[in-house]
Amino acid sequence: MDVGPVMAPAPAPSWKLADTVAAQTQGLVVTGFGGLPAGRALLLHFGWPIGGAKKGFLDRLLAVAPITNATPPGDPTTQTRAASIAFTGTGLRQMGLPETALASFSRPFQEGMFQEDRLRRLGDRRDGNWLATVVKNGPVWSANTPLCTLPPVPAGAFVVPPVGAAEQDVDTEMTVHALLLLYTQDDAAAQSWTGAVQTVLAADDIVVVRTLDLKVDVGLAGGFSREHFGFADALSQPLPYDAGNAVLVNGQPAQQADPVQGVPLGEFLIGYIDGHHEKAPGPVVADDPVARDAGLLPSIEAEGFCDLGLNGSYLVARELKQDVAAFWRSMEKNAEAMRSRDPQNAAHITGAWLAERVIGRDKDGHLLCPANSVLPACSDGSPDSSFLFYDRDPHGAGCPAGSHVRRAFPRDALAPTANDRSTLLQAANNHRILRRGRKFGPKIADPTEDDGADRGLLFMCLNTDIERQFEFVQQTWLLNSSFATLFQEVDPLVGPAGRMSIRDEALRRTANVDTFVRMAGGDYFFLPSLPALRYLTNL
Amino acid sequence: MRQTTLSVPLEVKPESCSCLTVLIDALKQREDKGANPEVENFARIVQFVPTLHFMSMSVFPASEYDPIFILEANFDGAPGPFWGQLEAVLGNDLRAILRCCKRPLDATGALYDAVVAPGSSAPVAPYLEARTQRPSVFHNGNRGLTRARISDDYALFLAARDELDKPAPEGGPHYHSLTPAALHKTLRAAMLPGHGWLSEPVPKRISTAENLADWMRLIVYVVLALVVLSSPGLLLASLVPGGGDLAIMGVVALIFFGLTYLNRHGLPGKEIKSRSNIPAFLLGQSGKFGLVAVIYVLGASIVITPIVWLATHLLPDSVIGPALGLPAAFWPTVHVVLLGFCSLLLLTVPLLLFLVRRDEMADSSQDAPNVNDGMLRDMLQREDWVVQNHMGSIVLIKPGILRMIIIRAGHLGLFLVLRLVARDGYLGSMRTVHFAHWAFLNNGSRLLFFSNFDHSWGSYLDDFIEKAHGGLTLAWGCGVGFPTTRFLVLDGASHGRQFKNWALASRAVSRFWYSAYPDLTVDQVERNNRIANGLRRTSMTDNEATQWMLDL
Repeated sequence: MDVGPVMAPAPAPSWKLADTVAAQTQGLVVTGFGGLPAGRALLLHFGWPIGGAKKGFLDRLLAVAPITNATPPGDPTTQTRAASIAFTGTGLRQMGLPETALASFSRPFQEGMFQEDRLRRLGDRRDGNWLATVVKNGPVWSANTPLCTLPPVPAGAFVVPPVGAAEQDVDTEMTVHALLLLYTQDDAAAQSWTGAVQTVLAADDIVVVRTLDLKVDVGLAGGFSREHFGFADALSQPLPYDAGNAVLVNGQPAQQADPVQGVPLGEFLIGYIDGHHEKAPGPVVADDPVARDAGLLPSIEAEGFCDLGLNGSYLVARELKQDVAAFWRSMEKNAEAMRSRDPQNAAHITGAWLAERVIGRDKDGHLLCPANSVLPACSDGSPDSSFLFYDRDPHGAGCPAGSHVRRAFPRDALAPTANDRSTLLQAANNHRILRRGRKFGPKIADPTEDDGADRGLLFMCLNTDIERQFEFVQQTWLLNSSFATLFQEVDPLVGPAGRMSIRDEALRRTANVDTFVRMAGGDYFFLPSLPALRYLTNL
Repeated sequence: MRQTTLSVPLEVKPESCSCLTVLIDALKQREDKGANPEVENFARIVQFVPTLHFMSMSVFPASEYDPIFILEANFDGAPGPFWGQLEAVLGNDLRAILRCCKRPLDATGALYDAVVAPGSSAPVAPYLEARTQRPSVFHNGNRGLTRARISDDYALFLAARDELDKPAPEGGPHYHSLTPAALHKTLRAAMLPGHGWLSEPVPKRISTAENLADWMRLIVYVVLALVVLSSPGLLLASLVPGGGDLAIMGVVALIFFGLTYLNRHGLPGKEIKSRSNIPAFLLGQSGKFGLVAVIYVLGASIVITPIVWLATHLLPDSVIGPALGLPAAFWPTVHVVLLGFCSLLLLTVPLLLFLVRRDEMADSSQDAPNVNDGMLRDMLQREDWVVQNHMGSIVLIKPGILRMIIIRAGHLGLFLVLRLVARDGYLGSMRTVHFAHWAFLNNGSRLLFFSNFDHSWGSYLDDFIEKAHGGLTLAWGCGVGFPTTRFLVLDGASHGRQFKNWALASRAVSRFWYSAYPDLTVDQVERNNRIANGLRRTSMTDNEATQWMLDL
């Protein structure tokens, strides 16, 4: 086979939206604003009774924090600030969005992340008890979505009272109605902007119930940042395409899928064809002059309604606290235990060796490969994320079968035979999320010493089908105790304490990892398009 | 080992339906001591019904019929012993359930009366056995592995796992120091005392008789199908003598293929460009089809020739012509069989395709079926507690004689093919189904589907949508309201969201659901079995052991 000279692969291409779409879409869809390394996440609570919003409050907020659209800035270095905004279901109700419009959102959004059955599937709560992957005493914030009240059933002549427990209403201390993200070039700018925003909010009865100081430290090749445990983060992202020319890659319409990372735009943006060959559905509002003036387009399916969802998305946010000292101590403790169990053959096992296997990449983000090697970097020195698993490492000899990167996106690793590789890769790509998370909290001085500071990741991702994308990744890949023919083990990084199998030569070894990541709050948000945002200002 | 999959559908007295659901919920609560760590879940059933793999009890509401109660069971061996065991554990609960069901009109009515009479202690098993419905298609993920063997393999897996994780013995080598062959030997020696059965040979999963029966049934099916499909040609040959028949067939083929070609597109925006290219696939299989054709034509001719020969000797010349010798009878027979076979390709298939497509274009679909919020909540509340889940669904079947024939023949064919193809647990590239079956209800007007599968319901359906949409569309596309299909296998289930909505709306709450091994996926059962089969061997080469160790 003629493979030609071995060349380093090109780094993943960047993509953007076609101009007409970009002008209507929030910038967060196309970028995590890596050029603006500081920032704040403000969790907002609307203090007024339902429907009692002060007229024009959103206009005043958007005047002090104008929302950035997806049109790329002419010269990225001159961009000094950017902002994004998203609302929870309870927030939209509070703002006065009619019940019919609220009922047109997807079921997970309407029910909220803290619905009892959802929390069980997400690995947060079971049988009325918070699990180990949640902060002590339970999460502190959510949308506090009330229980879905079913319409009263008329008393039937032969109805017998049911047995079994009724659904629990799971509440948190803080009720979050909106998430405002501010991105700036440095922390001082973030600080002063936040102050200006807070002044405006306070006058309108809006309370900032929680503030997280977002940051990236872009020091790695390819513009990647490290998360608090010390590993390069957010390396592998889906690459959207759209048969209707809404996506541009290198200035050209991307109508075909990238062989590894290609995912239809409808997976992330409402109104476009998604991975199940359907237009990703979104909410609608009545077709009236307010909707038309805001720039909403009439719905094709629903006569008499306008699309509120078009060019919007659903944003999943989870505040994940990271216990850095516990992570590294657990790695060292396990490495020592593994060495003492097998003094003759386990001298190579160190805390760092184990930590890399928990992640599946080395600290700089290069994929672990068989024979103790890593995948060569791209031509710009950034980690290569265009790999597949089946041919390179079918049994997880390099990148363990249960490692975080393999669980978070198995690519073709779950194919039973070589003939199924492409089918399984395609299937895996039907469950992708566009990650937009940022870390918060100070960098730890000594990773093995707990300094008591709050730090972690504000996990954020965009998707149009929360159940098939975010919830699937969490339930069927990360926290699936039978993933890839493993048994009774879950994601070693984000899951609860438990075992992890690591193939070392022909035989596997077992580590017993602790819990390092705990959820402190979260919920599902609607990230409106700019016309939809204009519509909301006029409620 | 023979395994049985069955269901018992019983019509419910509408006035007793609410009482029945409460009875089933209460029974589930009593047997499943999930919250009490001291007691094993479903301990009584685990102990006293040792052949049972999976069992469910659901009540399906319907807007067209009274509710229907269905007990689904998947177990080892014949039904007799199973019903006896179940009677001993749940006899009186089942009697209370039966009292909520209608008395049947057929001969089983007397059995029903005896069971539900006030104060009756007559056994319920005979009645349930008499009302049993056999599946039209079923699939066993771990075919031939008995419940006892799955449990033994599992216990061995856990013991071997602990053994491998032990520290190296004082001064001795750790398992990592051993060659693969030596590791196998050492591990076997460590496991033998606790698992004496390792010294017995590997039991056969599929007996020779079962295997032979699977093959024979499929061969008979294929031959009969070919005969039926080629019969129009035989008829035509007798009506149009002397070569005209082939010409007629050619014209018919042109017309119907042409009409079908014109109708090949779906609704705008509903047609999916499939990655699988069916014509290319069929062309790729043409070698196999050719082989079957040659075998069929020769085989059928050899079988029919003596009959023709005999007929020419027994019947008067005026009926069938003068008496022939065997070779002289052979060639005309080949000619007729071949003609029949040509008519299959030129007459029957184009006509059927045209009719199928015509029906499909006039079919209504239900893009947004009504899902009852209360029932959905009842379903979700019971899901995703363990790695396995359960679903039951009933759909109405589209009317029409052509459709009825296709469904019946299709289900039978699918069943026979699955018996031969799906022996290692894989359905296509999926290995997540433990026991699943389809069955016809109400004189074939409703289709019942039950599945005991791994992972969430959403991921189970996504698996089908992403990896096996063609087969699923073929099997379920006969359901009223199914997303629009093309040529029986295209589009349909590829419309993921629509298909999921449709499937969701057809479901009932799995109120009582029992799994004998709720922690094990199909994949894990096979893994445990591979480890066990390896440890049954007294020795392995290094190469064999290296391969086997991938499962440890």
